[in-house]
Order: sequence, then C-alpha cells, then structure tokens
Amino acid sequence: MKKILLGLAFALASGLSTAQPPTEAEQNWDEIVKQANGQTVYFNAWGGSQEINDYLRWAGRQLQSQYGINLKHVKVADIAETTQRLLAEKAAGKNAGGSVDLVWINGENFRSMKHSNLLYGPFTQQLPNWQYVDTRLPIDEDFTEPTAGLEAPWGVGQLVFIHDKETLNNPPKNFAELLSLAKAYPGKVSYPQPPEFHGSSFLKAALLELTNQPDSLYSEIDSQTERQRFETVTAPLWQYLDQLHPVAWQQGKRFPSGTSETIQLLDDRQLLLAITFNPNAANAAIENGNLVETAQAYAFEQGALSNIHFLAIPWNARAKAGALVTINFLMSPEAQARKADAKVWGDPSILKQEALTSRGTQGFSLFKSIPEPHPSWLTAIELEWQKRYGS
Amino acid sequence: MIHLLFIVALVLCFLPLLPGMIGLLLPSISWIPTLGFDGVSLTALHAVATWPNLTVSIALSLLTGLGSTVLALFFTYIILRRYWETARWLNLERTLSPMLAMPHVAFAIGFALLFAPTGWFFRLLDSLGLSELAGIGLIQDSYGIGLMLALAIKETPFLLIMSIPILKQLNVGQLCAVSASLGYCHSEAWRKVILPQWLPKLRLSLFAVAAYGLSVVDVALILGPTRPPTLSILVWQWFNDPELHQLPRAAAGACLLLITTAASLGFIRSVEWACLRLQRGWMTKGPRATKHSKRMPHRHLALYSPFIAIPALIVPLLIVWSFAQRWRFPDLLPTRYSARFWQQELPTLAELMGTGLLLALVSSTVALLLVIACLEYRQKYRRGLPVWLVAIPLVTPQLSLLFGIQIVTYMIPGQHYWLWVCWSHLIFVFPYMYLALDGAWRSYDTRLDQCSRSLGLTAWQTWWRVKRPQVQPAIIFGLAIGISVSLAQYLPTQMLGAGRISTLTTEAVALASGQDRRVMAIYGLLQGVLPFVFFSLAIVANRLSYRWRHYRQYSLQTLYSSNKSKEYTHG
Repeated sequence: MKKILLGLAFALASGLSTAQPPTEAEQNWDEIVKQANGQTVYFNAWGGSQEINDYLRWAGRQLQSQYGINLKHVKVADIAETTQRLLAEKAAGKNAGGSVDLVWINGENFRSMKHSNLLYGPFTQQLPNWQYVDTRLPIDEDFTEPTAGLEAPWGVGQLVFIHDKETLNNPPKNFAELLSLAKAYPGKVSYPQPPEFHGSSFLKAALLELTNQPDSLYSEIDSQTERQRFETVTAPLWQYLDQLHPVAWQQGKRFPSGTSETIQLLDDRQLLLAITFNPNAANAAIENGNLVETAQAYAFEQGALSNIHFLAIPWNARAKAGALVTINFLMSPEAQARKADAKVWGDPSILKQEALTSRGTQGFSLFKSIPEPHPSWLTAIELEWQKRYGS
Repeated sequence: MIHLLFIVALVLCFLPLLPGMIGLLLPSISWIPTLGFDGVSLTALHAVATWPNLTVSIALSLLTGLGSTVLALFFTYIILRRYWETARWLNLERTLSPMLAMPHVAFAIGFALLFAPTGWFFRLLDSLGLSELAGIGLIQDSYGIGLMLALAIKETPFLLIMSIPILKQLNVGQLCAVSASLGYCHSEAWRKVILPQWLPKLRLSLFAVAAYGLSVVDVALILGPTRPPTLSILVWQWFNDPELHQLPRAAAGACLLLITTAASLGFIRSVEWACLRLQRGWMTKGPRATKHSKRMPHRHLALYSPFIAIPALIVPLLIVWSFAQRWRFPDLLPTRYSARFWQQELPTLAELMGTGLLLALVSSTVALLLVIACLEYRQKYRRGLPVWLVAIPLVTPQLSLLFGIQIVTYMIPGQHYWLWVCWSHLIFVFPYMYLALDGAWRSYDTRLDQCSRSLGLTAWQTWWRVKRPQVQPAIIFGLAIGISVSLAQYLPTQMLGAGRISTLTTEAVALASGQDRRVMAIYGLLQGVLPFVFFSLAIVANRLSYRWRHYRQYSLQTLYSSNKSKEYTHG
C-alpha cells in the first residue's frame, strides 16, 4: 500500500512537473542521467540464450540513442563466476573501479552477495520507473531474503512443465500423477540433476506438495543441528524419489543437465515432460525450431513455484550512474513489453498490467504462484539428495 | 642476454604461480579474512573427506585420466612402429592436423552429437531397425568409458606430433638397420631399441596429457559421468557454488585434485622407470631365439582409421547441425534448414576471431622467445628449469591458480585487462611450448656446436646455420601448438579479462550453457578453423623448408662436382 501511494506520488509529481519547479528526487535523477551520459556499463549476465543476447543488443542500441550509454553484455556461463570475481576484488581491497557495473541475479547468488556486502544500494526507490512495478508480486523478497532495495526486479520466473499434446494429451496435474505416469511409461520421466537450478526447484516443488508441514519450509533451517525437524519434513520427498528413480529415464542412473536438455529430450521423444522457469519457453522453443507446434507449457494444480529475477549493482562499480539509468530503462514499459513478447524473449513482466496496456501490449497471465521456500532448505535438500542419490 | 631472458621467463611465467598457490592453500585451511574466515580450521578438509562417494569420483578420474593416457600412448606407439618412415607416413602426418586443431570442446560436442543415445550413430541404427540398441550411448556413461575413449582419441595425434621431432633426432632408420643386422625383427627393434629412447623424451608431453585428462572440466562436463562425476567436475561444482562460505571446501577440493594429479604423474614416472631400468637385462639380452625373420608391417589401414574417421564424421555433422532449423530424433537428416544462426553470428565473428588471434600471436611469440632462451640457458650452463616447475601450470587446476593471480592483478591500480589476459595466456602457453621444444633440444648433439665453432663460426652463426635447421620443425610445431593452446583458453580469458575480452572460446562456452545444438555446432566449427590453419601452415612450412634445404644442398653439390670435373678436364 505504501508503495502504491509512493508510486502515485511519483506519478503526480511527474504530471505536475511542467508547472512546478522540479522536486529534489527529480533533480537528483536528472543529475544521474547527466552523469551517465558517455559511460560504459559492463552488464554481467548469463549468455546462454540467443534470444536474450539479441534482446540485450536491442537494449544497448536504445540506451545509446536515448542516454548516450554504451552497454556491454559480458556473457557468462554461470553468474556465480561473477560472484567469485567480485569476491576476489573484495579480497584485494579494490573498493572502487571494479570490473562489473551491473549483474543479473537472484536467489542464492543474491543472498551470498548481500551477506558478503558486495552490493550497492539501496537504490530502487529513486528510479522513476519504480512507479510502474506491480507491487503485488513478491518483489521485496528474493527466496525469502529481503531485497532491501539492493536489487531491482526485472522479470518473473515460474516453474512449469512442457508437454507435447500429440504424445501426452492428459499430462499429470500433481506429483502423485507424475509418479503413476512414470510407472506406466518407464524411462520417460526425469528432472535435471540437483544442484542444477531447475533440478533443485523440482525437488522444492515436490517437497511443498508432499510434505505434511509446508509452513515449516518458509523459516530457516540448519540441517546439522535440526536434524530431526529436517527429517520429518522431508521424509515424504525421499520416499517419493525412491519410487520414482527406478522407473525414471535411464533408471535414474543419469539425469538431464538442465532445462535445455529436458527440452531437447522432449523433442527427441525420450521424455514426456520438460521443465522450465519461463512460462513462455514452449512458445519461444517452437518459434526457434526446438519443439513441435503441439508443445505447450502448464503448471501443476498446486500452482507454480515463482520467483523474480533481479538486477543489482556491485559496491565497487565504476559506472554507477550508467547502471542506474540502464536498470531504469530495462524496467520501463517499453523495454518490459518487448521482453514479454514471445517472439523476442517471452519473459513475463514485473510491471502493472496498466503500464503495459498503455503501451498497446498485453503482458500475459501468470499461473497461480507459490512462493519459494527459504534458501537454507535448498542447501539442505541438495546435500541430502547428494548423500542419497549421488552415485 | 640469455641470462636476462631466463630471469624474465622465471618472473613472467613462474612468479605468478606463488600467489596462485597461496591463494589456493590459504582458503583450503579456511583463511579468507574478507569473508570473515580468519581462524585456521580443518573443517573444509573434513567436508571434502566426508563428501559422499568421493572415492568413486577419484577412481573415475584416475580411470579416465590415466586410462586415456595409457591408451593414447599405446595407439601412438603402434602407429609409429607401423608407419614411421613408410610411404604412408606423409599421408598420416597430413591427417593429423585437423585432429590436433580441433579444440577439445568442439571435439566433445561432435563426439556427443555422434554417439549420444539420440545422436547420429543411433539415428542410423534406428533407421536400420536396430532401435533397441539405442540407450547404450557412450555419453555420460557411469564408468566414464566414453570420456576415456574420446580423450584417448583426441590426445593420440598430440603425442604423435610430439614424437616427430624426437624420432627425427633418433635416426630411426639407422637404428633399425643396425638392429636388423644384429638379428632383431622390426617390432623387436622398436620395443628394445627405439622405445627406451623415445619414451623418456616424450615424458613431459605424456605428463601434460595425463594431467589434462585428470583435471579436464569442459570435456568431462559434456561426456563424463554425472553420478558421481569425476573429481575435477566435483571441484568445479564446488567452486561455482554461489554460497561463498563454501569456498574453503572448493579450495580444499582443488588441493585434493592437485595431489591426485601429482601422485598420478609420480606413478607414470615410476612405471616408466620400472619398465626401462628394471627391464634392462631383457633389453640387452639380444634378439629373441625364435626368429620371425624380418617381419615387415602388415598392410592394414585399420590402425589409424579411427583418428581419421571420427573427425571425418564430426566435421560434416557439425556443418549439417549448424544449418538445421528442425531436426528431430530419429530423422537421419534435418527436416528444415535455415542459415539464420549463421546470419545471427556473422557480424560479431570477425571481432571475436581478431581478438583471439592477436592474443594467441602475442603470447605464443613471447613464449617462444622465452622457451628458446631457457633451453639455451640449460645447454650452456647445465642448469635449467626443473621439470616440476614447468609442469605446475599444467597439472594445477586452472581455476584455483587463477583465483590467486586475479587477486594480485587487482592490487595494481587501473584496468589493464588486455595485458592480464595476454600474460595469463603466456603462463599456460609457455609449458606446452617448452614440452614441444624440449625433446629437440635434448636430442641435439652439442658436438656439432663445438665443431662449427672450431671451424670459425660465431655463436650466433652456429645457432642460425647449424642448430636452427635441426630444431626448426620443433619450433614451427611448437608455435602452432602454442597458438592453439592460447586460442582454446577459457578460464584465463574470462577471469583475468573480467569477461570484457571475448574470443570465440568464451562465446562458445557461454552459448554451450544454453545447449542449442545448432549454435554450438557453429562455434565448434569456427573454433577449429584458426588452429587448423596454423597446424596446416606448420606442416607446409616444415615440408617446404625441408625441400628447400635439400634442394639447396643438392644444387651446391652439383655445382661443386661440376667444378671438380672441370678441374679434371683442365688438368
């Protein structure tokens, strides 16, 4: 509510700005935009997707013409590389003139960067486009870790499944049905191997449905000292996996490496279901020639595990002003609408519907969402999975 | 001058190893003050030791790393025995370059596209009605057989090419002739006369192959077992854990990997010692009683055909994939083609290739100068770089070394990313080049120097006119190897360049994480192009210079003899 009021105040202020002298915030922002002109912003982001890389090339062209900012996409295979680099800079005491100006992160990476004081901020409230952000989304928390204004939302991820209507017309609606399907068609169901992001997320979603104490998952756990609690909460998950693995793809001796491989295997007719965090991934994959036209994404009955991915600025960034303007641009209705387009990227927007429709574009409806458990559970489950099924 | 260059080499190539090693050891005993770890503790070592199935991971690493080395050595030996100095050898030498030039990642991608359960090989089987065979893929099998075979196939050409200068120096033809006159058959001569001289000179290359096999990450990610993975993958996963407080565990794991690799190299060395020293009696006992007379090599192509057939299949497969728009299993060929992926990538290619090439040329040229200086220094002062020092950059997992080096570069103000990357390439190019040239320098007969000096040539003239022609093939191949090593560097480019310096390799790895087979195929192909060009150039250059030298010698001779005959007629 407070945020909406603030947003309204911003909107009001901007509406009146022609008549009245600029407010302090606006003056500050003008100053930032001026500073940003001519800066080069090194944006460290995952570089594994051609669609995303193309989108960022477009964003770079826009930023260049609108603000004189030179956006450089530093393509990384895993953003943990960047976390490591920032850590090394911190270790060497390089507190200014760092090599990274902007990062694309969420979840564990955010948590560890925040706890190691690697982030600049809070900065989100001073961005003019903050007013359009849909505050009903869980933008204040990143995997239950308060964002505290240290990162700005960029897009929404939802854990959904993809099936081919031709081969599997009536896909499973919950984890119990998934097991029956696996038993009926041995070797046709699998999930990416934890600690891969999607594999771990699959386990979390399964745990949420299967456990008797789902509430317990939203508070921190230390699996060493609270062994008893961990075991009672997670026992149904391990029982489930013990049944699933013998009838899974390759008898559970191997697991796919990630979401792309599940999509590949779905197309190779090795799997009946692929898993993804982008509810629009099926359309994008069809567009790209990676899936048949009859493929579509859907969520389980309980809803889709949902999280937001964010943009943040390292504490030692050289082009902070440029990074702020870049983030503000990436959060603009123009940039968000383009990002949500299935032909471009298909990543759901974090802006209010009104902000998008005023641009003549629809966002799209998300599946019913379930929030992410506390990240400490992720670490605990991954370790336990490793112990039980690591070989 | 040589003194100065030797010191420069030490400072440039080995001094950074110190912070690298410290940056590995201190975190492994949980000493990272900036993270709040300021007390020494052994918890990280404990975490590593109690990691589930650690022993299986180590065993898998040993199996794939040592297994592939032994296989590669075996293949190399029998191929050399069969074809060295035969008419086929030139053909074989020519086919080596595409295989050598193909970077490991590209080879692994191609191998996977070929032998995965939905790969082209199984598509072929499926179309022949043998679909039940699918699923016995060689990719990510739990014993690492596929990984081991792929590494062995990929490393054999490297060992072969490293053997060329050694065998040239050994004068195999003469040795064989003498052995034959003493009653040894062909294979016996190779086993008892040539092998004992060839193997010690190949030692460093063998170490490099073994260390690579034991610590490889990228190829193992594509082809290796996953449950549990090899030790190197495990450590890589630990390093990539976003939980920074797990960093000591990763560092301790990297130490374990280092120890495993060092122990394996020690093992290889002791096996070599055992075979060549303890069996001395057997070697000098003379020819076998039962003589198979002069059994000449069998005429079959099968021996090296895998080294030709696999690249011959992989390259067209990569080309087809790069133009495929829609290619579903089990179709033998794509149903829809498109050039859009090429179109997408073309604009940035020139820039990527240029950056990579510049880095490779600069780092290899500097490395070449330093290597030659070090080898000359050794020859002159009988005191050179110890083998273990040269081997450090090869056997230490890059990731852990670079972490320490990275911290040092941050202590120097300013952003000199290009310089750091070039320097880090030098660190990793130097030992490979040293390996490539070491054999040639060792086999060089220094009496030739004495001879030419006594005939009045200066030191420089002696080097240029007597020594250079002998070591030139090694130098040219060394340069090609250095360039290809530099072109394939991923971690140094990415870590010390802060990701700001992009080459084909960094792009390829970033894109491979998206697993789009078509884009991967494009980068796999392109990655192979530049090294291929350089290896081909090396072979052509060596052959031309050889011919030219012989031509010149021949023409001098004829000139000389015609003069002589003139003298006679006049006389």
